[in-house]
Amino acid sequence: MSHKESKNEFDVALINRRDFIKKTAVGAGVLAATMAMPGFMLSNADAAKLANLPMKYKDYNVVFVSFDALQAAHVGAQGYSTRNVTPTIDAMAKKGFNFVNNISVASWTVPASMTWFTGVYPSEHRLTNKFSVFNPPNNVLSNLKKLSPELVTLAEVLKENGYATGGFTGNAGVSGFFGYSQGFDEYFFEKGKFGSMGVSIPKGLEWLQKNKDKKFFMFLHGYDMHGQNVPDGGFDYRFVDKGYDKKFTGSAAEQEALREEGLEKGSVALREEDVKFWRAIYDEKIQRTDARFKKFLEEYEKMGLMDKTIFVLTSDHGTEFHEHKRFDHGFSLYDELIHVPLVIKLPKQKAGKVIKDQVSSIDVMPTILDLLDVKVSDNVKKQMRGTTLVTGLKGKSVAKDVFFETDYRQYTYKRGIQTKDGWKLIYTLEDKSRELYNLKNDPHETKNLVEREPRRAYELEQRVFAHFKSIGHDLNSKQWIPGLNPVYDSQAKGVQKK
Amino acid sequence: MIKIKKNISILMLIATSCFAVEKSYAADDLPVIKRYNDTNVILVSLQCLRPDHLGVYGYKRDTSPNIDNLAKSSILFDNTIAQANLTPVAMMSVLTSQYPRVNGMIAFDAAKDAVTSRTLPEILKYYGYTTAAVSGSPEFFMRYDTETGTEIKLGDVFSRSFDYFGRTRKGLGSSLRVAPTESLDWIQKNKDKKFFMWIASGVIHVPYAAGIPREERVIYDPPGYTPFWEKFHSIKAEEGASDDTTYDVLMRIYKDEYYLGFKPIYKLTQTDYSYIVSRYDAAIRYTDNFIGQLVNTIEKAGLSKNTILIVHSIHGEDLGERGTYVHYDLSEPAVKSALLVRLPSGEQGGKKISDQVQGIDIMPTVLDYLGIPRDYSQQGSSLLPLIKGEPGAVGTEYAFIDRIPWWEHTLSRWYLEFKNSQTNYPESEKTPVKEYGALLRSAFPPGSYPPGDIAIRTKQWKLFVRKAPRLLEQVSWYGYITGVPLKYGDVELYDIISDPNERTNVAEKFPEVVATLKAKLMEWDSSVERKKAVYGVGEKRFIIPYP
Repeated sequence: MSHKESKNEFDVALINRRDFIKKTAVGAGVLAATMAMPGFMLSNADAAKLANLPMKYKDYNVVFVSFDALQAAHVGAQGYSTRNVTPTIDAMAKKGFNFVNNISVASWTVPASMTWFTGVYPSEHRLTNKFSVFNPPNNVLSNLKKLSPELVTLAEVLKENGYATGGFTGNAGVSGFFGYSQGFDEYFFEKGKFGSMGVSIPKGLEWLQKNKDKKFFMFLHGYDMHGQNVPDGGFDYRFVDKGYDKKFTGSAAEQEALREEGLEKGSVALREEDVKFWRAIYDEKIQRTDARFKKFLEEYEKMGLMDKTIFVLTSDHGTEFHEHKRFDHGFSLYDELIHVPLVIKLPKQKAGKVIKDQVSSIDVMPTILDLLDVKVSDNVKKQMRGTTLVTGLKGKSVAKDVFFETDYRQYTYKRGIQTKDGWKLIYTLEDKSRELYNLKNDPHETKNLVEREPRRAYELEQRVFAHFKSIGHDLNSKQWIPGLNPVYDSQAKGVQKK
Repeated sequence: MIKIKKNISILMLIATSCFAVEKSYAADDLPVIKRYNDTNVILVSLQCLRPDHLGVYGYKRDTSPNIDNLAKSSILFDNTIAQANLTPVAMMSVLTSQYPRVNGMIAFDAAKDAVTSRTLPEILKYYGYTTAAVSGSPEFFMRYDTETGTEIKLGDVFSRSFDYFGRTRKGLGSSLRVAPTESLDWIQKNKDKKFFMWIASGVIHVPYAAGIPREERVIYDPPGYTPFWEKFHSIKAEEGASDDTTYDVLMRIYKDEYYLGFKPIYKLTQTDYSYIVSRYDAAIRYTDNFIGQLVNTIEKAGLSKNTILIVHSIHGEDLGERGTYVHYDLSEPAVKSALLVRLPSGEQGGKKISDQVQGIDIMPTVLDYLGIPRDYSQQGSSLLPLIKGEPGAVGTEYAFIDRIPWWEHTLSRWYLEFKNSQTNYPESEKTPVKEYGALLRSAFPPGSYPPGDIAIRTKQWKLFVRKAPRLLEQVSWYGYITGVPLKYGDVELYDIISDPNERTNVAEKFPEVVATLKAKLMEWDSSVERKKAVYGVGEKRFIIPYP
């Protein structure tokens, strides 16, 4: 069977978030699903506990954790039931607010993460490529300060308000060289690495020891789950079928080769068992990361900080495993790439809640500032495009239509919208092609409805263009010709050879 | 409601960074009034119609009783500018609301998929419209394969998105340019559907009125007149009558002299001039009669209350004002267009609007009225605010016009020989024409495309920029037939109020005006260039004939 014919049964086996919502929303499945999904149905006692939360946390700490490349569909609290790989994250989600429809503004690290820290879309912070100038050998790295000097970062606002600010990361996409360190007293990134939390957590704990008596904002990040990171000491293949023929071993080089094959050819040739293998590898990475995070929380608890801290757990983008015949992330804007977990756990919060409203990663910065009740200048208020989710924590609807985008290396420029009622349009600028999906009926985005629903496609296309125009980026002002937009050195070299 | 929506969208544009932008945008973007549920649209596009030859625009001759009557229940636009001086180019701008270089209809030899922009029928189809067209303009339905010399039925952009696309007649020659009466039958038969109908007529195109009954054609002829050219040559019988005002004759008149064998052989008299205008006016009168039938058909079918009827000129026509005929350059007569908009039940009827508007404004107006969101790629503006007299609605301060392709480029692609085979010219004419053809082909090798000319127009001024004046001088048709090379300045400025025939270049007298307008024009030019469609090299091309 050729790879084209093969059906990826693991896609189907996955509990998609919308399948999950369907199951939990109505009918006989409610009870079972609720038991499987703690925190979804509230008891009266829990509701009372939630209602008593102050929602103002002046001078509290924030620990903001990015599990880089964590697909929502692989998180237990977001509906994953194939394996139990995220017990620590799930436990926090159970005690906190668990957003099960959080959509990232982009599908790769550099543009997606900077949106948390600036509250604007990638087109606006302009950190959409590794290089702002690419003229070998004199390449100029993208840098927030140079690209968008007017933008104020989340860390800067908090520092202004007397917070100690520390970032502890795996480098690469969130490297300080891109300006991610802007506003941080201390910002750790190990040069030349897709580093893991195995390194960033100890660095972070060291910093905490010194700053635990101050109010602080901590950004913790690691590439543990990312394709370019392999556990120290290698995989133990805990979830891989014994009979797998070991065509792949899970190495970063293999993962990169698959990514490049997809980018070059438009699709990757993979067997069902290979996809299954890669998902097993992914689960091993997730489980290992979750265990690291558990250790971090144990240390954190020892410092007596738990009740003084707001936790925000999320991811910058997902990961694709051949759902749309590609591998890795960045090129596409499908659900597996932009649907990411978002958990907000408030201090002393004991009862959690699942929030189904569709929200965006652009809402994270206004939400944190709102919770901390800090002084925010009018400039920053004007800067932020998102809306606070605190209203949602209080029980009101915060559902919204969301927008996302990716400019990926020399390959593509895509923009998209996802409405709160489940329609999604992806517009590819270089060839003006459109994809329209009805996520309610087609959560895996397999049936392009552009021809069948021309009016809806047209109207959503107008929405996309109007949105970007309204933020000062008229997509119609030029021809979009894919050019050399290298992200990482190894990729740039590949292009230079041609 | 509409007004509120407008204000919001204007705010959106201004508020490039506003905390609350996104939320309100998402909710308010789509228009509230959904007239697209039950409103028909009829767009009547007339080639070469000069507004100043219609009664309602002040013409003395009784050329247009029906249009004059229609104007009573319509909004009349007195200052409408076409985006180009050539039919396929100007029309595509109307159908896409894009300047020509953006939509890609920039040549008479066009590849099948030269234009990919969304057209009016395409969008209306999204909203459940049945779309039909009847074209009496061969520009919209004929393509020639110059290799085989045969006409081919090219389903290209003019017929794209039409459920029905009617052609007036088969074959070549003036018989094609007849009234598109088939459209009346279609409306009667389809009155119960929600429809968009595009009706195009080329009756007013050269040879003026040649396809209509003789008694109608000669109605304004000066008594006893014999055309001056009949003593020099005849035209081939199948091309029409010898007294027809053919392309070949009119293109050989320059500054009142008739050129043959590349020398002036006859000086035109006032009667000769009157004859040409008479034939032109007869064509308008016949077309006006068709408009009368159309209005009757709409009324009889009970569609007046829910039909938008728009009648417009695709572009105008030169009748010797600057020494030339037909529609060679971006003169006032060639780009000024008639425009009447009749809203359902004659709403706002009888209004006359003197603010400048453009051909590209027609489509956004239709969509705005119907409540359909406009396509982001449209470059025109809805005229509804003007129609309703909203404060601040002043039309288009700057209109922009493309002179592309140069007619000489079109001639170089087969036209020259084709045109000259329609007349029985003496050898003294045929030989130099062949030489001229060789000159053009060396100037415009296959796949090449000339730079074109551009113009900006305000209510008072018109400024031309010739992008390659030396090349234009080298290839100019009029320079060639007169033997006196034409001189083009790099910049021409005309005061179109005091000098509507654009005879005196006042660029040196008003340097500040030149500076301001030229800056605006070049800014527009570069914005268009950034988005310009390609004159696809290597694609199979088919020629739009120009019978």
